[in-house]
Amino acid sequence: MLSSILWTGLAIGAIYALIAVTYNVMFSASRVMSFTAGQVGMLGGVFGAWFILRLHMPIVVGFPLTLAACAAIGVLTELVAVRPVMAGLEKHLYVLSTLALALMLQQLTAIEWSTEPQPFPRIVGAGFVLDEKFWLPLAAGAAVILGLELLYRRTLVGRAFLAIAEDNYAARALGLPERGLRIASFALAGAIAGLAGFAGGQLLLASIANGPMLNFYGFVPVALGGLGNNRGAIVSGLLLGVFQQAANFLFGGVFVSVAVFAAFIVVLMAAPQGLFGAAPTRRV
Amino acid sequence: MLITRRGAMLASTATLLGAAPLARPALAQSSPILIGWLAALTGPSSAPAIGFDRGVKFAADEINTAGGVKGRKIEIITRDTQGDPTKAVNAAQDMIGRKKVSAIWGPTNSGEALATNAVMARAKMPNMHPCVVDSLIDPVKYPNAFRIAPSNGQWDDAVRNYCLNILKVKDVAVVGDTTGYGTSAVAASVAAFKKDGANVTYQAQIDAIQPDVTPDMLRMKNSGAKVIVVWSVATGMEARLMNERDALGWDVPIVGHPALGSGDVRQLLEKEANWDKVYMVGYASCSYDANGKLPPQTTTFVAKLAGKVSLQDTSLWWVACGYDAIKLVAESVNATGSSTSDAIIGYWNGLQSYPGVFGTYTWTPEQHNGYPTKEVVMSQANSQKDGAFKLAPGYV
Repeated sequence: MLSSILWTGLAIGAIYALIAVTYNVMFSASRVMSFTAGQVGMLGGVFGAWFILRLHMPIVVGFPLTLAACAAIGVLTELVAVRPVMAGLEKHLYVLSTLALALMLQQLTAIEWSTEPQPFPRIVGAGFVLDEKFWLPLAAGAAVILGLELLYRRTLVGRAFLAIAEDNYAARALGLPERGLRIASFALAGAIAGLAGFAGGQLLLASIANGPMLNFYGFVPVALGGLGNNRGAIVSGLLLGVFQQAANFLFGGVFVSVAVFAAFIVVLMAAPQGLFGAAPTRRV
Repeated sequence: MLITRRGAMLASTATLLGAAPLARPALAQSSPILIGWLAALTGPSSAPAIGFDRGVKFAADEINTAGGVKGRKIEIITRDTQGDPTKAVNAAQDMIGRKKVSAIWGPTNSGEALATNAVMARAKMPNMHPCVVDSLIDPVKYPNAFRIAPSNGQWDDAVRNYCLNILKVKDVAVVGDTTGYGTSAVAASVAAFKKDGANVTYQAQIDAIQPDVTPDMLRMKNSGAKVIVVWSVATGMEARLMNERDALGWDVPIVGHPALGSGDVRQLLEKEANWDKVYMVGYASCSYDANGKLPPQTTTFVAKLAGKVSLQDTSLWWVACGYDAIKLVAESVNATGSSTSDAIIGYWNGLQSYPGVFGTYTWTPEQHNGYPTKEVVMSQANSQKDGAFKLAPGYV
């Protein structure tokens, strides 16, 4: 029982964490919470199964194609649901525009793919002590956090991302291509969500039902970890997964969601800025 | 005699009015019999309607090729409702108000039927459907609505009978998904099992997208259940239960909803053997016996379909049921000589042991559930061949 709570919980938690990072990457570039994050995660599984199982592509081709397709949907999100809203005065309309695009993505997937869960291919195969459905999401989570740290701290492009996240107007005044960087951020976010869905394909299957689920549970680590804090999102995501699986053993059924969101509310009441978020400061 | 213009007009009008009653029967005798067909041919729940549609078209072609019903051709007015209750209501109103159909077959899923039932009742439109929700049939509220397939209660009876009297187990775990259907079906099943003296060791709702069902299976196992009864259409959840049963090394039968035999379940199984000892609701008319034979009337029907209707990608019972529905409308017009609402409903209310392909139907003014419970059986979920399944072990 303990190993099931631990490994299943950590694996699911890693997927939630990656979706939370997707939210963060999109947010840092645009100050917009895009509700397409979960749907792009769902598409990571669907594209992976489609390329590898239906079109019989080798994994070395199907995997990068999946990431590229999800990155393209990230760019589409920026072009269709974010940019028009940012141009207007009422910026909170992004809630509607990104939700509408998310619904369209889900319906289109239902029509073109299936409404029933479909199998996802085995990527590595047997031969490990731990099944790949448990360690692949964890490995993907570790690779993403490491890659983002390197990107943000060691590369010029990464520093430019941080600059527009920190102060959009100042970054533009310094001559940084804000629009191009925002598109790149959305492409990166799409690829991260695609990786989440691909790495979690064995566990979640290739199913349209994963979209709303990832949207909800991927948002929880964002709030718990502090908006824009990727390390906080990873830790919170893993904790959420383990807590959810423990609740599954203790309560089961619909009570799992109740337990998760009850804990979520209690944590936010105790620490409104999230477990790892810094308290807001104001220059006086 | 002086013939004035006014006199000529009056005379010709009188002649026309006098001839009208004579012309009407001639028109009715040659006009086609219009049958509305509310079919969810596209969208998430389209698989059954696609199967039903094949039987509908086959029946209409067969009747028309043989000269029609008393010289009148059958004309099917099909509307794709896409599984959407709003579209189903609009289509039903169009069929009633504009197309003036004689009867409506469908819709084929309960969500749509719950929406169309009242619309058709108000118009006294003869309606036949195969939807399982028990409340859809009520001869007082909906005297025009007739069910041609088992109700959910009849499915439940068949499952309970199989567990208690054929498998001879009393310790039962009953689970469903968290949808309205799953919740109500589990509650009804548990109540009926308890009423029949069974020991319901465990009952629960499982989230259909829950990636790991180990906790639920462990709870069922620890409760001492000797059979798991599943009420859900969620194929992903069902496959996960079967895979987890294997992972736990638990040799327990799984019995329940027809979705357990879906091809979508098979492709999610980690091993083909995980589908063994899984028994789903089926029908005697569309089941292979121990010698691999279908019942005689079904064998004849399948022979007629050969080369004309594909059974490779659908269920035989859907095709047979769609065929029977059109035949029953045609039969009512043939027997009464009329395609009016009163004539069709009156005929159906007196139907006694009508030998259809899918079932032997009986309706009375007080009972509009026409499918006999004894013809609902359990089938081996992994035995599908040409749209039909083998009978589960224990039937003779």
